Amino acid sequence: MLQVLLSGLAIGGVYGLVALGFAIAFYVTRVINFAQGQLLMVAVMVTAALSTTGLPTWLAALAGLVGSAALGVLMYFVAVGPVLAYDRFSFAWLVSTLGVAIVLETGAAIIWGPTSRAFPAMLNNNTVHVGTGSLTLQQLLTVVVALLAVAGFELVRRFTLFGKLGMAISADPEMARAVGSNTRLAAGVAFGVAGLLAGVAGVLIGPITFANPYLGDTYGIAGFVALMIGGIERPAGAMAGGFILGLLDEGANHFINSHASDWFPFVVVVAVLLLAPRGLFSSGEVLRRLRRTTTPMAEGTS
Amino acid sequence: MTPTALGRATAAVASRRTAGRLVVPVVLVAYVLVTHVVALTSSYTQSLVLVAAVFGILAVSLDLVAGMAGLYSLGHAGLFALGAYATTLLNADLDWNIFVLLPVCLVGVGLVGIVLGLLSFRVSGLYFAITTFVFTLVIGVLASDLTITGGLQGLPGPIFPDFPYAIGGFGTALVWCVAACLLVTVGAVWSIRRSALYPVLLAIRDAEPFAAANGVRTRLVKVLVFGVSAAMAGMAGWAFSFLGFVSPGQFSWTVSVNILVMVILGGMNTTWGPLIGAAFISVFPVYVHIDPLWQELVFGAIFVLVIVFAPSGVLGVLTKLVRRPGGTTRTPVSAAEADALAVDPAALRSTDLPVHTMSVDPDLPAVECSGIRFRYGSGSLVLDNVNLTVRPGTIHGLIGPNGSGKSTLVNLIAGHLRPDEGSIRLHGRPVHGLDAAARPGHGLSRTFQTAVLVRELRARDNVAIGLYRTTPRIGRRALVWPVLPGARRDSRATATKAGAALDAVGMSRWRESRVADVPHGVEQLTQLAAACVGEPSVLVLDEPLAGLSTGEVTAVAGILTELKRAGVSVIIIEHQTKFIFEMCDEVTVLAAGSLVTTGPAAAVRVDSRVREVYLGQ
Repeated sequence: MLQVLLSGLAIGGVYGLVALGFAIAFYVTRVINFAQGQLLMVAVMVTAALSTTGLPTWLAALAGLVGSAALGVLMYFVAVGPVLAYDRFSFAWLVSTLGVAIVLETGAAIIWGPTSRAFPAMLNNNTVHVGTGSLTLQQLLTVVVALLAVAGFELVRRFTLFGKLGMAISADPEMARAVGSNTRLAAGVAFGVAGLLAGVAGVLIGPITFANPYLGDTYGIAGFVALMIGGIERPAGAMAGGFILGLLDEGANHFINSHASDWFPFVVVVAVLLLAPRGLFSSGEVLRRLRRTTTPMAEGTS
Repeated sequence: MTPTALGRATAAVASRRTAGRLVVPVVLVAYVLVTHVVALTSSYTQSLVLVAAVFGILAVSLDLVAGMAGLYSLGHAGLFALGAYATTLLNADLDWNIFVLLPVCLVGVGLVGIVLGLLSFRVSGLYFAITTFVFTLVIGVLASDLTITGGLQGLPGPIFPDFPYAIGGFGTALVWCVAACLLVTVGAVWSIRRSALYPVLLAIRDAEPFAAANGVRTRLVKVLVFGVSAAMAGMAGWAFSFLGFVSPGQFSWTVSVNILVMVILGGMNTTWGPLIGAAFISVFPVYVHIDPLWQELVFGAIFVLVIVFAPSGVLGVLTKLVRRPGGTTRTPVSAAEADALAVDPAALRSTDLPVHTMSVDPDLPAVECSGIRFRYGSGSLVLDNVNLTVRPGTIHGLIGPNGSGKSTLVNLIAGHLRPDEGSIRLHGRPVHGLDAAARPGHGLSRTFQTAVLVRELRARDNVAIGLYRTTPRIGRRALVWPVLPGARRDSRATATKAGAALDAVGMSRWRESRVADVPHGVEQLTQLAAACVGEPSVLVLDEPLAGLSTGEVTAVAGILTELKRAGVSVIIIEHQTKFIFEMCDEVTVLAAGSLVTTGPAAAVRVDSRVREVYLGQ
């Protein structure tokens, strides 16, 4: 039981980091970056490839992180910015971000081959015992990094000018531009941070999954599901959604059967979409729904 | 496409009409011939064409929701899968006849679409995209994890019967069948594009409040249109099941995006665009023989390049190339010239304005608001215990400083907001529990402070949206509109009425111009014509003079006088106090959400409190 909880939190941290990246990019640009999972894969592949050349693991991982962050920025300026400039309210970005996802995935398969490669073990061979359960240091690190990331994001958002700029652009990009903020730069940075978070998630999960060009699909969808559970409007909610999804995954595998995590999260996300369409942690969701149901009654009596 | 000169426009319309009569039979004959040729070719070519045709059905059905109604569905792969799996399983396990399964798929998948729409239009357009995306994911998970669906390997589809020997000369029966499905789909969407529903759908996409104000129950229309689109996707699934194996990989969420790419690549909201896109995307992998990985890479790159460099698709680019040398699209109009052109007072024949025929009790107030309280969310009180009574057949001015709650009050009266407390009655009937789309049925029409119309439609088509409520059974007839004599008659009547309403507000010369090409004042007056054409008994005007020239203001004054003579009650918000006190019978003054005073214009004008809060004296 305790072991389910610990493993759930560890994998949930990975989902949460991917979801947090989704949410930060969405927060500033109102775009869901369907290549988010592929950015994770890029960090994994680059780290794996460089560490086989004899580079120290930490340096290879660093290069992986830089790679996914840089690709995040690049994809904004190539595939997202121009689309939004043409029509900010269309959904054309669905197609362009998916196009980038396909290019990254098949590009990786062409460069490194479509099969799995070894990934450095990093801290995965060190185990810590927590009560009756145990965690690898890598898993412990995942939980810590996930919590630090969301705390860091909230601090930046609330207490720095850059964070407030993000809020302003999120509320009304035209107005933010009119008062002199560089919305394209801010959006580029948001995509860079999203790529970085995906890369961090990748480097943390790499020792368990090994390096495979098609990792992006699995983790991209898991992150997206976490995002739906937590709510797309609030990045911190997305992280919470990640932890919930991780716990549900492990719980389903433990209590239902070993493949239940293939389908159980979808049952949950459907339930969430039906009951709280804006996600569990969206502001005032419950209040708004109560209000909506009581108002007609008040009118009826007047 | 639309010449600005009226004479040329009429000529073009006439010649297009005769050409149009020929185009349809010619295209149909060619289609039958091509089908016959395909039905006799090798099975390799046939399977290639059939896959392209099935994706053609999907792309056209997606264009119906995405292109016309602005609903970007990512659920089409899931709906497609439902049709294919339902056909395969019900045929194999329960031995249902495949021809019985066609209506089963149409109705069943259509209903699934309706439920999906009901669940997802609660929030926003993005939420619709997300919900339908999750739907496709869930269908994918079910298809791969259930034992009944054969897991990842899938199931062999049913066999489609051949023609009886006597008519075996027609070739493969399946080719004819899929061709018929494609023809039905294209025909239905083509017909919707020619129906009175088309401007309404575009209004839902681009100008939802305008559509609602004209009596369109936008959410219901969206749900039903998505249902129709889903039924078409179900039919595509039915046809696809005969092409071989049915397995989860063929319906993954990337297929949903592929279909969207087909639509965008060809050109959204066009008859041929989705077909061109579907043909290209399905045939491309077959004719470009490169390493599958490289091919996939090229595919992804095409997605990005098309969206970034040709967002209007192949047809959009072609239209641009064709138009440019002719230069008939837009005669540049200088600002001064536009102003002079905008209203031709001589053309103002306001006596032709349609007048309401509704029977109303002349003793009851036209509009009666009592004890209105309203706040946005949990914010501060915007309107506090406001009463407003509009006597029938009068012009009632609503004035007050910025932020005094005038527009909020008007939005409450028009149903775009609902009061927290208090009641609103139109001709004595309580309406405060009804939404905006129900107001025109009670005789109320409105205009908005800033006109938001469908820019790609002509002024006349925008005004025709005002006739949506009074034209019967638009939705039900839309699928077969051009073949119904009654519907064609209604189209002509609508066009005539809308044209007359534009004439009445002095906009004759702009009738055939696209709204995107007209000056601001024309847009505002087009909006006014749309509000009048539905024959309201109460007309609510939110700052109708904002941004109008002197000539246009005179025109509006003339129109108001005519409306009043016809017995229409008018509520008007305006900042030009001179205009208000000249035109209005009674005036209500609001300040900071409370009523300052209300009464005859002459009395309000000299009221010291009004001078204090509003005129600053």
